[in-house]
Amino acid sequence: MSDFGGALLALLALTLVKATPLIYAALGGVLSERSGVVNIGLEGILTAAAFFAVVASAATGSPIAGAAAGMVAGAAVAAILAFAATRLGVDQIVAGTGLNIMALGGAAYGLVLVFNQPGASREVPSLGKPGEVVLIALAFALAAALWFALFRTPWGLHVRACGENPRAAEVAGIDALQTRFWAVVIGGAIAALGGVYLSLAELDLYSDGMTAGRGYIALAAVIFGRWNPWGALGAALFFGFFAALQYSLQRAGIPSELMQALPYVAALVALAGFAGRVRAPAADGIPFER
Amino acid sequence: MGRTLRDALIALGIVFGVGSGAMLLAHVSPIDGFGALFDGALGNASELAETLLQTTALLFPALGIALAFRAGLFNIGAEGQIVLGGMTAGILGVALPLPGPLLIPVVLVAGACAGGLWGGLAGFLKARFGANEVISTLMLNTIAILLATYLIGGPFKQPGAGAAETPQLPPAAWLPVLVPNSRLSVSFLIALALAAALQYAFHRTVFGYELRAAGKAPEAARRAGIDLGRTAFSAMALSGAIAGLGGATIVMGVLHRFNTGLSPGYGFVAIAVALVGNLEPLFIIIAAFGFGILQSGAIAMQAEANVPRDIVTLIEGLVIVALAGRRFVAERRTS
Repeated sequence: MSDFGGALLALLALTLVKATPLIYAALGGVLSERSGVVNIGLEGILTAAAFFAVVASAATGSPIAGAAAGMVAGAAVAAILAFAATRLGVDQIVAGTGLNIMALGGAAYGLVLVFNQPGASREVPSLGKPGEVVLIALAFALAAALWFALFRTPWGLHVRACGENPRAAEVAGIDALQTRFWAVVIGGAIAALGGVYLSLAELDLYSDGMTAGRGYIALAAVIFGRWNPWGALGAALFFGFFAALQYSLQRAGIPSELMQALPYVAALVALAGFAGRVRAPAADGIPFER
Repeated sequence: MGRTLRDALIALGIVFGVGSGAMLLAHVSPIDGFGALFDGALGNASELAETLLQTTALLFPALGIALAFRAGLFNIGAEGQIVLGGMTAGILGVALPLPGPLLIPVVLVAGACAGGLWGGLAGFLKARFGANEVISTLMLNTIAILLATYLIGGPFKQPGAGAAETPQLPPAAWLPVLVPNSRLSVSFLIALALAAALQYAFHRTVFGYELRAAGKAPEAARRAGIDLGRTAFSAMALSGAIAGLGGATIVMGVLHRFNTGLSPGYGFVAIAVALVGNLEPLFIIIAAFGFGILQSGAIAMQAEANVPRDIVTLIEGLVIVALAGRRFVAERRTS
């Protein structure tokens, strides 16, 4: 194979690696927002999942148990947001921001408590290459499954109804608050797999700040993907490509800081270019009260 | 007033309740832990000066965030605005050949302009394209830090600069010290004056009225002839300018040079400060002092009582969650 072909293949492989956590987070965001709850807390969910996955893997020696613990942790963080959003009627964006800060501080604190060292955990049993491949493939499968669930099942219809018009949904006999709650929690468990991927597949440890704003890029991917699982998958791949591109272009002598900024600039431009032309679920972000 | 009191009590409950729990988890008695924290923050004059310095660093971005909130906009981008304001002050403070009395105000204003540009960019994207300011300011935070790292190491690299920092400012660009033998500068007084000015502006001027109208009842405001796009832009630009000014004062008053780590998350903690202060500048001063105690006492608590200082970050996040009451909801979502 020519050098160019090899480089291209490496770029595409790296795109998949960089896109996978974004795909999970964006799919979790799509489910949450389709039910009417904006999930700014994706970053915190990734953080909590990445951290608890490592803790459980260290404690049990089993990375599978680690992955399960990571999902539970992500779902738990999402449950806090879901409870606040459905039962307390809080501003979802402000609450999500608080959750992100909580998760960051909590993980840093837990790192000292559990591993007795600040900054990063020790290396723990990881899912390894096979696990990484499985998680990449699962991300695509989940996009298909979520699309089917949202658009081809009664449950999906209920979720979307709560995101568009919760009052009408209630009149039709759907418990809007409960539907929203579980959509956010399940979305949290899905997004959590992105955190598990970061700490147990791409790496084998947790370090402070390792999620590096991926939860925020995933939010842009939700909008860019028009609140559709396939669209979110495509957008995550798009941002993943820019994240991968920075490594190729760095070798070409372009300053690394500018390259690292690429996915964020791409997200910003996409946001501005798309914002006027897409429609969010009508009740997205609006608390519902009976 | 009642709500402010209730919110303050909730915040205090979280600080002491969750703080105690976290300390017990680390096998430290809360009495020892909080004792070390308060002693480290308020124990003597120099520690109090350090606490007021943290108060100042939080007060600027909190005032900016409160201004944006009043217009129904959530500026999560204060962190990036602080960085760019600080960077501009760091570069111009060294490069401008101006005499002292002129140098300080010019560099301060330049720092505010840089932050204002960054906030205004989010405001422009919101007004022109309808881009959600929450996500755009989050993106702009990361871009700001990368841009600053690139600029001070590349195009604007100055002789004597280290890695990820500018050379030391000439003493003529240092803000005068307020308390001898401390790092507390007149920036504390600037922040207090700004808070007083904003308290007046929010309640006694047409601009303050327009902000509130655009935030609380955008449709009515539009019908009354208020240009919502222009209000969004100016609110975000001013919000960013205030945060940028804060960044400039950190560089000119505390570090005497810019480095990319100048803010340990002031822009995010300031969200909690603005909420606890109920978006009222005078209450925000008190809230900033409270969080200033946490920030400056955390280091002593870690050193003396062996409690990881990160619990302070955890507590600050929890305060934001607890105070995310519904008062902002209608304001933002109908716009």
